[in-house]
Amino acid sequence: MQKFLPSVSLLSVMLALACAAQTVAAASVPAGVALAAKQEWVRSNGSEPETLDPALAESVPANQIARDLFEGLTATDTSGKTVAGVAESWKQVNPTTWVFTLRKGAQFSNGEPISAEDFVYGWRRYLDPKTASQYATTLAPFILNGMDVAEGKKPVTELGVKALAKDQLEVKTPFPVAFLLDLLANTQFAPIHKATVDKFGKDWTKPGNLVGNGAFVLKEWRVNSAVVLEKNPRYWDAKAVVLNKVSFLPIEDSNADVKMYQSGETDMVYQLPPGSYEQMKKTYPAEVKNGPMLGLRFYALNNKDPLMKDLRVRKALSMVIDRDVLASKVTADGQIPAYGLVIKGIAGADVTSYDWAKWPMDKRVAEAKKLLADAGVKPGTKISFTYNTDQYHKKMAIFAASEWKTKLGLETEMDNLEFKVLIKKRHDGEFQIARHGWIADYNDATTFLTLVQCDSDSNDNKNCNRKAEELITQGNQTLDPVKRKALLTEAARLVMEDYPMIPLLQYTLPRLLKSYVGGYFESNPMDHFRSKDFYIIKH
Amino acid sequence: MWKYTLRRVLATVPALLAVITICYLMLHATPGGPFDTERKVSAAVLANLQAKYHLELPLWQQYLYYLDSLLHGDLGASFRYADWSVNDLVAKALPVSLTIGGLSMLLAVALGVSLGIWAALRQNSAADYLLMLVGSVGSAVPSFVLGPVLVMVFAIWLPWLPSGGWSDHEVRFWVLPIALLTLINLATVGRVMRGSLIEVMSSNFIRTARAKGLPMRIVVLRHALRPALLPVVSVLGPLAISSITAAVVTETLFSIPGLGKLIVNGASNRDYTLVLGLVILVTVVAVLLNLLVDLAYAYLDPKIRY
Amino acid sequence: MPTLIPKSVTEAAEPAQRSPWLDARIRFVRNRAAVASLLVLAFIVLACVLGPLLLPYSYEDTDWNQMGIAPTLAGWHLFGTDELGRDLLVRTLVGGRISLTVGLLATLVSVSLGVAWGAVAGFMGGRVDALMMRIVDILYAIPYLLIAIMMVTILGRDFYLVVLTISAFTWMDMARVVRGQTLSIRSKEYVEAARAIGVPTWRIIFSHVVPNLLGIVVIYTSITVPGVILTESVLSFLGLGVQEPMTSWGVLIHDGANVMASSPWMIWFPGAALTLTLYCANFIGDGMRDALDPKDR
Repeated sequence: MQKFLPSVSLLSVMLALACAAQTVAAASVPAGVALAAKQEWVRSNGSEPETLDPALAESVPANQIARDLFEGLTATDTSGKTVAGVAESWKQVNPTTWVFTLRKGAQFSNGEPISAEDFVYGWRRYLDPKTASQYATTLAPFILNGMDVAEGKKPVTELGVKALAKDQLEVKTPFPVAFLLDLLANTQFAPIHKATVDKFGKDWTKPGNLVGNGAFVLKEWRVNSAVVLEKNPRYWDAKAVVLNKVSFLPIEDSNADVKMYQSGETDMVYQLPPGSYEQMKKTYPAEVKNGPMLGLRFYALNNKDPLMKDLRVRKALSMVIDRDVLASKVTADGQIPAYGLVIKGIAGADVTSYDWAKWPMDKRVAEAKKLLADAGVKPGTKISFTYNTDQYHKKMAIFAASEWKTKLGLETEMDNLEFKVLIKKRHDGEFQIARHGWIADYNDATTFLTLVQCDSDSNDNKNCNRKAEELITQGNQTLDPVKRKALLTEAARLVMEDYPMIPLLQYTLPRLLKSYVGGYFESNPMDHFRSKDFYIIKH
Repeated sequence: MWKYTLRRVLATVPALLAVITICYLMLHATPGGPFDTERKVSAAVLANLQAKYHLELPLWQQYLYYLDSLLHGDLGASFRYADWSVNDLVAKALPVSLTIGGLSMLLAVALGVSLGIWAALRQNSAADYLLMLVGSVGSAVPSFVLGPVLVMVFAIWLPWLPSGGWSDHEVRFWVLPIALLTLINLATVGRVMRGSLIEVMSSNFIRTARAKGLPMRIVVLRHALRPALLPVVSVLGPLAISSITAAVVTETLFSIPGLGKLIVNGASNRDYTLVLGLVILVTVVAVLLNLLVDLAYAYLDPKIRY
Repeated sequence: MPTLIPKSVTEAAEPAQRSPWLDARIRFVRNRAAVASLLVLAFIVLACVLGPLLLPYSYEDTDWNQMGIAPTLAGWHLFGTDELGRDLLVRTLVGGRISLTVGLLATLVSVSLGVAWGAVAGFMGGRVDALMMRIVDILYAIPYLLIAIMMVTILGRDFYLVVLTISAFTWMDMARVVRGQTLSIRSKEYVEAARAIGVPTWRIIFSHVVPNLLGIVVIYTSITVPGVILTESVLSFLGLGVQEPMTSWGVLIHDGANVMASSPWMIWFPGAALTLTLYCANFIGDGMRDALDPKDR
């Protein structure tokens, strides 16, 4: 009896969501806003996408474009909420099985109708090791047999996705996944037009060949210059799409980005140059946008290193860093100090902190000094810090080094490496303290927990807390979201008491957006936007 | 002279082979591979990725594979720009770099030679110092400063030109990048021209020409210029090569899809095929330009014979 | 025997011997800009060497309450501070030490190698020339970023390594230029004459060819110096040069260029220091070329 109730409440929540989903429109232009005649948006996109194939897209810029060219069962609206995509409705038949009903009239950009088989093909292709997607194992664990398929242990036909009818898709998960709808909004789970891929092979993503089902089609692609999209008249919600043309410019240098914005070449700056936030707020008060993102800046600690393996040393290093000064003075762009693994705004677990976070700094320093003395580490000891070339990281690193020097008397040797070399050294454990950062792949705490789990590929600290591990496994099996949250929060707290790494700040994304571009929501935590939600106001 | 040219062109092949081999070994010796990313990939995926690019084979086998595809005119697939072949990438970036690099070289030569001549003929006067001061801006102020200054003045304060971006036919996107490169190259050309002309002007045959009563213009342009251009031509080779293939700062500042950016991104991402493909291109360009320079020597100084 | 001719006459009749170096120095002094540049450069060098010893701040002292302030007399921040609160004046001077040292050393290595290589190739001609220049062509084609990354990650981080890496890419230009000039000199009459009377080849190269190359070498050297210093800054920016908290003009200027609009002093001061130094190097170079030119009256 008890078991029934939670699933019933889950069901009702899902049903409610399904009903709500049908009423959400795309670009909701507020009443009384006059639209410009020319609906074209030029935006900066950070860097050249490595691919436009949604199965292979790993980077943020690539996924940003993919979100306009393809659409999955669900999608994310401008405020970050999950809404209906190609699926019109869905129901959770049992805790690990979902059935999605596709909307009538959904078609690819070449006019052919989308059927459930196209989803099956797309998902299998994404996880098939032959496709060799580097992003496969990130989302695979949540579909039944996904990991086994991605690792080549089972054939793709074993994947937990099946076409029940032309417009009915059944999805099975290995354990109850509360955030499945969020997950499926990722374009990795979009339907793919098999005939196109078969015909063109690797060239299927080129303009003229690419067939997708998103709000836009690919008009032009000039590497290192621009990706230009045009409105897709065959998109099921085409009448709600206001923009006619979107251009993505891969401007890597943030200063050049700002200059292009100032001279009117672009309507949006992807990310402000470090240290310019205060100035920009004064110069363009209405155009600066800054919202917290689901990302964590932290320093990985090599738990196997002779010096770092002592918990007291790790704790001392973490205690003396004044995160308030770091946030308000050093980085000064609205980031939030973080004292735990879980960050504000993420679903599935609560933010945890340390008891000393509220102590005055003097007390923290005194305690830290004691810890170091107990561990036998004398002032003057050298520690090495590895980071990759970047103005922002450099600034933070210098701050940390100066904190460790002035408060603990430790000499930090800074090692500035090229990005690839840093990653390799981190993976191989050739570091003492290394700069690290992690952006959520989906809105659930487990995406951050993998950083500190035993045997996780993403755990560079090489720490392991078996008790926490158990709590996480338990949490994933639970149907009750409240219970799950409690379990995961406790697991996070436990692991952090081991001080495997030093959490510092929660990411924000400061950028500039011209006031005549409407539709932006500052608190979209995953930074997952679709161009279909934007419009140009008359100016 | 034709025999010499032919010999040089044929000699390119072993040179190319040597460059490819050296770069190939260097790339593979550098730590970090193309698939070292933040999120670790599963063993199966890694195996497939490597199979796609033949990376699981022993080094010498990969090398032979590569040479074989070269003979078929295929430079391979890029890792970093996974949807594109290296042939595509290079073919699209080359005309852009040639346009900017080539035009800026022409301008730099025209302006630099004129500047050098004027300054040389007024040696040690205030005009000389002034000309050299102005002309040397490009060599005393780093490009990553000069560029943004140009942008601030001509794109933001005076909204005449775009601050970046590229178009194949709209010339307004070409102006600032070419201006930047020209200023940089102008400095070198001007100074070398000045120094060289001053030396030549004190030679015997010039003294004779002046003694004959020839007007200064004829003396300089008809008699002194040819030998004086020799060091300038020497300098043009390296300048042209770097303007076309290594204008990274300019390309980054103005978001131009040229060769420099491809090389830097390729090296940072350990995109073996892309880097090797570009290296081949650069070698061919370098060899051709150096050949032109050497032929120019022979033209300018009749006593040089190959 | 009484001297019939007074000493003053006999002694005055012999004109004093003037060495060619004295000649050169006189000609150099005539070039006003070159002399001024020499003085300015000497001042800069002195400031960089002694300055930091006199100032109250060290180049790595951060001050979180004085971040990014404009130049002010209060607190002796004459050049202002950078975004971490470090005094810019001290950092500019300390950075100058690095830039000047690197500039000097790398240029020295690069010039020596380039001149030797180019002179030998140009003078020998024929197959030797072809081989040597093909080697230069080959080395040219290898992207310098690749070499830099490789050298640093394999050989480790060291100040002298930076010098070596920079010299590795800059000697080739000098070699090409020198070789071209040598080809021209080789066919001149005095070389023919020397050969005719049996002077050994190496003697001819180093006693006749090289001195006549001085003009173009000096000019090209003074073109190399700014190139070297700028290359050093690009390397540091890529993480292959001097490590934090040590700095150099190139690094300071690069950081300053990023905040030019909001904190212009961060680029003005190191930028002025660098530009001034480079202009001085240019003028001194021109002056030296004029001074050493054997044909200039």
